[in-house]
Amino acid sequence: MSTDTTILTYITTEIATGDEPVDRETDLLLTGLVDSIGVMRIVEWLETTHEIEIHPADVILENFQTVAAMAAFVEQRLDTASD
Amino acid sequence: MQLLSQLLYHDRIDFGAPAVTDGRRSLDYGELIDRSGRLAAAFVDAGIRPGDCVAIHVRKSVDSMVAVHASLQAGAIYVPLDPMAPVSYLATLVHDCATRVLVSDASGAVLADLVEQTDLDVVIGPDQAPATSRCIPWAAVGELDAREPVALVDDDPAYIIYTSGSTGTPKGILHTHASGLAYAKLAASTYGLRPGDRLANIAPLHFDQSTFELFAAPFAGSSVVMVPEPVLRFPASLTELVEREQITVWYSVPYLLIQVLQRGALDQRDLRRLRWVLFGGEVFPPGLLAELMSMWPHARFSNVYGPAEVNQCMYFHLDEPPIDLGAVPIGRAWADTEVAIVDDDGQVVEAGTSGQLLVHTSTMMDRYWNRPGLTDGSIRVRSTSTGGTGRWYATGDQVVERPDGNLVFLGRADNQVKIRGHRVELEAVEAALLDLDGVADAAVVGAGPDELIALIVPRGPVDHRELLVTLGARLPKYSVPTGIAEVASLPRTATDKIDRRAARELLPETP
Repeated sequence: MSTDTTILTYITTEIATGDEPVDRETDLLLTGLVDSIGVMRIVEWLETTHEIEIHPADVILENFQTVAAMAAFVEQRLDTASD
Repeated sequence: MQLLSQLLYHDRIDFGAPAVTDGRRSLDYGELIDRSGRLAAAFVDAGIRPGDCVAIHVRKSVDSMVAVHASLQAGAIYVPLDPMAPVSYLATLVHDCATRVLVSDASGAVLADLVEQTDLDVVIGPDQAPATSRCIPWAAVGELDAREPVALVDDDPAYIIYTSGSTGTPKGILHTHASGLAYAKLAASTYGLRPGDRLANIAPLHFDQSTFELFAAPFAGSSVVMVPEPVLRFPASLTELVEREQITVWYSVPYLLIQVLQRGALDQRDLRRLRWVLFGGEVFPPGLLAELMSMWPHARFSNVYGPAEVNQCMYFHLDEPPIDLGAVPIGRAWADTEVAIVDDDGQVVEAGTSGQLLVHTSTMMDRYWNRPGLTDGSIRVRSTSTGGTGRWYATGDQVVERPDGNLVFLGRADNQVKIRGHRVELEAVEAALLDLDGVADAAVVGAGPDELIALIVPRGPVDHRELLVTLGARLPKYSVPTGIAEVASLPRTATDKIDRRAARELLPETP
């Protein structure tokens, strides 16, 4: 599965479990689909799943606003790690 | 100045000075006066008369500042609604205050549901509103002629802050122009606010801490920097904003400061402009406070105390990190305020003995909205130091006075807990649980900091996740338990009340 599909699955089954539909481009922060505890859980899950370490300075709004942004951030981290 | 509606109309206001920014838009005081005057005209056009309620359902932004001051100037009572709360919860508040006018930045299903579930006639802000209501978009507001503030007296009602109620129905705390303005004055003088100060508005509008920035900043001619809700979920983004916007005064719950300490990338930020950090609403663990204070030696720190019924009323300034790791005191009363510690019979306790804190202050609420019984139950008429009698608010907080005169908070006499600074009455969550089909009996207990666990006696098989999702559609998010444990029956006291202490023992392991 691609990075964004796994992230989307995780978000919809574990974090944003309400009725509102979520896709790759949904703004997860605007309506409170993901709160501050949700952010921490996502970071922890990304670190475990992808065996990466995410520095607090990278846990910023721009990297977590949408599933697509998270996937881009993780892929960039994986690319850097494999260089 | 005697009224909150005059906050933008006093001699010290410099029309060209920055009043408010939200990162996307900024207004100087001249523009804020103009925009709030036009919105006040829209309120009048919508049928609002002095003493009517206006619901403000707007995320922190330039518009939220405009909406608050426009309401005050139109003589309306502003009622802030949590933009993140479920619609059914908001609908109960709209019914309770019987408002027909809403300012909103919502759209689509949220707005449609809110209008459908209430008697709202007029929606101000959106370009489109449901057909059953009249819509006044921002563009149309901008074409109205600005109105001057209407004539009011200082005990006229100004705003209602809703908080958790132990019967399950939220209770509205009604403040007046006098109590709000007294708060603005005392906040400005206690913290030396001045033009050039930049206050971060961190608390959402429906949380009483927000009145610090909304009222005290214009009183002092300082400016307000609105911190958008999404930024608060990212401590590193928040500290980046504080640096970029050159924030000088910060006021929040300890939870957020702890997040900043642990995940705020502080080693990469220059926050030396920050001169005063105020925290309140819950207890700040002293070890973490000491750590944060050593990171920000340039800032003064204050533990501020005051239930929403009295705004702030006490403070404890810290110039050095706390050395002993005992609780940080809530300190002493500020000006125009008296406090008393009393026993169950209302008698003042002997020095060093704990008791309930009573507060008599110029910043006190008028009453609970439409709840005379609750009001009578929480207000005592007692003698004051000036020789007369006055209204005292019984806080329900247990405190003790230290030999040095500072008060220390010990806990609650009732079942109110704080979740990230938000007041939650455990009974309110239990009432919502008992409303659900699969729940025969329920008790809610605190489990570690900022976490609630529900113990339920199920009626047949129950899907826990589904239960929590249903609850999340009815209650503000912070009051939804994070877990559910099933039990065969709940322990009760001799008077048939839930014994929460014994109930907690039923949990497999308590962190």
